[in-house]
Amino acid sequence: MEEIKKAIIEYAETSKKTKFYFKDMEKAVQSKVPGAKSRDIKKAASELVNEGTLIYFSTGSTTMYGLKGRGITEDK
Amino acid sequence: MFEPKRPQKKLKYEELRIYTEEELKNYTEEELKNFKIKHAIPDLEELEKGPWPSFVADAKREALHRRKLADDRVMIPKDVVEDLLGQLQLSFDDGETHWKHGGIVGVFGYGGGVIGRYSDVPEKFPGVAHFHTIRVNQPASKFYKTDFLRALCDLWEYRGSGIFNLHGSTGDIILLGTVTDQLEPIFYDLTHELDQDLGGSGSNLRTPSCCVGKARCEWACYDTQELCYELTMHYQDELHRPAFPYKFKFKFDGCPNGCVASIARADMSVIGTWRDDIRIDQDAVAAYISGEILPNGGAHRGRDWGKFDIQKEVIDLCPTQCMSLENGKLKINNRECTRCMHCINVMPRALRPGTDTGASVLFGAKAPILEGAQMSVLTVPFMKMEPPYDNLKELIEKVFEWWMEEGKNRERLGELIQRQGLWRFLEVIGVPAFPQTVKMPRSNPYIYWKEEDVPGGWDRDIEDYRSRHKR
Amino acid sequence: MALSTGKLGKYNPEKPTENRITDIGPRHYWEFFPPIIQRNYGKWLYHDILEPGVLVHVSETGEKVYTVRCGGMRFMSAEMIREVCDIADKYCDGYVRFTTRNNIEFMVDSLEKVEALKKELWSRKFVTGSYKFPVGGTGAGITNIVHTQGYIHCHTPATDASSMVKAVMDELFDYFTSMTLPAQVRISMACCLNMCGAVHCSDIALLGYHRKPPIVDHEVIESVCEIPLAIAACPVGAISPDKTPSGKRTVKIKTDRCMFCGNCYTMCPALPLSDKEGDGVTILAGGKLSNRISEPKFSKVVVPWLPNNFPRFPEVVEAVKKIIEAYAADARKYERIGDWAERIGWEKFFEKCGLPFTEHLIDDYRLAYDTYRTSTQFKFTEAAWEASRAAGGID
Repeated sequence: MEEIKKAIIEYAETSKKTKFYFKDMEKAVQSKVPGAKSRDIKKAASELVNEGTLIYFSTGSTTMYGLKGRGITEDK
Repeated sequence: MFEPKRPQKKLKYEELRIYTEEELKNYTEEELKNFKIKHAIPDLEELEKGPWPSFVADAKREALHRRKLADDRVMIPKDVVEDLLGQLQLSFDDGETHWKHGGIVGVFGYGGGVIGRYSDVPEKFPGVAHFHTIRVNQPASKFYKTDFLRALCDLWEYRGSGIFNLHGSTGDIILLGTVTDQLEPIFYDLTHELDQDLGGSGSNLRTPSCCVGKARCEWACYDTQELCYELTMHYQDELHRPAFPYKFKFKFDGCPNGCVASIARADMSVIGTWRDDIRIDQDAVAAYISGEILPNGGAHRGRDWGKFDIQKEVIDLCPTQCMSLENGKLKINNRECTRCMHCINVMPRALRPGTDTGASVLFGAKAPILEGAQMSVLTVPFMKMEPPYDNLKELIEKVFEWWMEEGKNRERLGELIQRQGLWRFLEVIGVPAFPQTVKMPRSNPYIYWKEEDVPGGWDRDIEDYRSRHKR
Repeated sequence: MALSTGKLGKYNPEKPTENRITDIGPRHYWEFFPPIIQRNYGKWLYHDILEPGVLVHVSETGEKVYTVRCGGMRFMSAEMIREVCDIADKYCDGYVRFTTRNNIEFMVDSLEKVEALKKELWSRKFVTGSYKFPVGGTGAGITNIVHTQGYIHCHTPATDASSMVKAVMDELFDYFTSMTLPAQVRISMACCLNMCGAVHCSDIALLGYHRKPPIVDHEVIESVCEIPLAIAACPVGAISPDKTPSGKRTVKIKTDRCMFCGNCYTMCPALPLSDKEGDGVTILAGGKLSNRISEPKFSKVVVPWLPNNFPRFPEVVEAVKKIIEAYAADARKYERIGDWAERIGWEKFFEKCGLPFTEHLIDDYRLAYDTYRTSTQFKFTEAAWEASRAAGGID
C-alpha cells in the first residue's frame, strides 16, 4: 500500500496535467508497481485524500484527482 | 424484512428546530403583497401571473422571510434569494447565463455530492457570489415525514439559501446555493442530527432511484425500494469516492411501464417482469365488457370514447396478437406474450402480472452526448430479485470491473458496449449469446472471427499454398 | 439533539475528521411510509382514477388509500415546503410523497378527507393569483414537466428552464386538470444538449440549444484554465493547442466540428459559448419510455430552433399547442404521440401539426442512413408536391 501511495504522489507531483483522471493515475502506478490492483490504487488514493495530500477536482459531471496546492486550486 | 442497515435516529422537529414559531411566521400577507425585492425584475414579475404555481412568487416570499430574520439568524447573505432573482432577470436581459463553474469544493474525503458554482457578476449580486449545490440522497421512492422536511428546511435556511429542488433529475434532494465555509457545518448536521448522507456527482455511482413499487402499486414485480436501498448502502464507497471512467446510474422500475425511466436513463436498468401466466379474473373481464368497470383505471374519463370494446381496445392492440375472446372468456397464449402491460393497464381489476416474478436486467442507457442517445440493452432476460440480491451484485461487479479496465475517460458503459461489441459484453457477464438481446440479427456479414474459432489457425505456409496454385 | 447554530456549528475545522460520520446513505424508506402503506405493502390489488388528480388504491386487506396529486415546482423554497408540511400534518398525519415528475402526493384513508383536502389545496394561492397546489396530473392528460436548472443555477444552459415550464404549463393548465387526451402526454425540458434531464424519450421534449462555438479568451486562458484539460474535455476533438502572437499559450477551435455541448466551458471559464442570438429552443416529439403496445422510443426533432423570447416563450408555447391539439383531434384511444405519428406517417404529422419540415430535421450524424426512407411507401402532402415541382416532375 505504501508503495502504491508513493507512486501516486510521484505521479501527482510530476505529471504534465495537474488534474488527472483516475485511469491516468492507475496506469502510472501500474508502470511503477507492476500488478497493483485498481481496487488498491483507489484505496490508496482515498487514504491520500483523507490525509490531505490529494484532492478531488470535480466538474459536476466528471471527477479528477490532483495534488493539493498544485495547479489551479484556490476557491476563488 | 424492511429493516434498515443500521438503527435510524428518531427525528423530532421540535427537538431539532432552529427557528421559533414567530421567526417562521414573520411577515403578513399584506407585507408580501407590497413586497419588492431590491432589484427590478419586470420579466420575472410577469411569471407571477397565470394559474400554474409560480416559482417567482414562491422565491419572493422566501426573500421576504429572510429579510425579516435577524442578522445573526442566517449564516449566508440574507439577500441571497433577491440576488438570485436579480441575476435571473439579468440573464433574461442578456440572453446568457451568469454562472461559472468551480472545481474544488466538496466535503472532506468525498469526491461527489457538492457542485461548485460562482456568479460571474458578483459585484452586482454579492449574495450569490458563491452559490454551491449540495445533493442529498433521497429516501427510496420519496415518501417523507414532515419532521424530516421541516428540520431540513431550518438547516438549509440557516446555512444556505433556503431554496431547494424537490427533486433533481437523478432523484436527489437538491440544496441550491451556499458558500464554501458552510459546506462542512451542513454536512456535520446532516450526518449527526438528521442521520442522512449526501448523494453522488462526478465520476461515481450516482444516487440510485426507484419507482413507487410495492408501497402503492399493484404491478411491482419485485421490491424496488428494498433493492434500491440495499444497493445504495452496499455501494457507498463507489457513491462517494469516484474512481470510475464517468458517471454510472442504477434505476429500478417495478414493471415494464417504466415510471422511473430506467430504460432511457440508467447504465443499469432493472425492470420488473414475470415468467408465468397473467392472472385472469373472468368475472371482472365480464364487468369491463358490460361497462360496469371503467377501462384503464378511469384514465380516459374526461372524454366520451364510446362503450368499451374489448376486441378493439385490448385484443387488437396486443402487439403479439396472443389474446382472444372465446364464449365471453378471455384467453391469453402466455408463451407468445411479451409482457407489454397494455391489457393489464386497461383492465387492472381483471388482469394481473403473474406470481413468479423477478426482473429483466438491461445495461447501457444514456443521454445523447456523445454518440447519440442510447437505451439500455436487454442482457439478462430474467433474474430472481430476492434479498440479499447476491446474484445482481455479482453481475454488477463484473460490469464495474470490465468498464473500469476498458472504459476510456468519460466513456459511459453504453458507449463501451457499442465500441467493443455487445457480444464482448455478454462474454464479460458470462451470458451466452441469445436472440432476445437483439431486435434482429446483423445484415452485414463482417463477422470478426477469432483465430481459435477457425480450424488450423491463421498461420499458413505460402509454399504449401503454392504447391497447389501457380503464382 | 438540536441542529447547530453559529458560524461553524459543531464542526471543528481544526480537526475535520474528529467524530466524522460518513457512508451512512439515505434514511430508510420504511419509517416514511404512512401506516396504511406499511400495512398494505405489496398487497395492492388495483387502482382507479376517480377524477383528475385523485387516485384510489385498493388492497387485498380491503383497505383503500386515496391519493391527491398536485402539480409541484421543482424549484421550491423552504417556505413552500413548510406549507406542504402544514397540509400533510393537518390531513395526512405528517406524511407526504413527491413523484419523479415533481408532483406532490397527499395520501388519506377516506373520501371525506379527499374532499376536504381538495378544497384546501385549491384554496391556496400565491398573492399574485397562481395556484400553489393545482390538483391533477393523472391519466390521459398532461402531467408536470420535468426540467433542469437553466439560468437559475447552471453554467452551460442555452435557455432558462423554470420560466419556460411555467409559461408552457400556464397554457396547458386545462390539460393538467382534465383527462381528455388519447393517452398521457409526457413533456420534459432540458436546457442544453447534455440533457441532465434526459428528455430524449418524451412525448414532447423542449431542449435549449447553443448555435455558436465558444469564444477563446486568449488573454487569460493560460492563467485561468488547465489547457490540457480543456482540450481533453472536447468530445469531438475540436480543440487544439495554439500560441498567441505574443507567445502566450492558448487554444484554437475547429468550428466546423463543434457540436455546441459546452463541455469545454465546464473545464475552462475562458471558453464561453452562450450567445443571445445563437441560443434558443429545439422541440422533439414522439418518444416514450413504457413498453406498452410499442417499444420505448426516442423523441425526434420536429422544430429545429425557436428564439429565447423571455419570459413567456410564445413561439415555443404555440408549437407545443399545435402538436397537442393536432394529436388530441386525430389520435386513437391509447395512442401516444409517437405511435400516432408512426401510424399516420411523419409526413402527415408535419402537415397536421402545421409545422414546416426543414433540412435541419434530416439526420446527418452517426447512422443517419437508418432514418432515410428507402421505399416507395409514402403519403402525398403539400411538401411532396413542392419537392416534385422543384425537381421538374410536375408543373
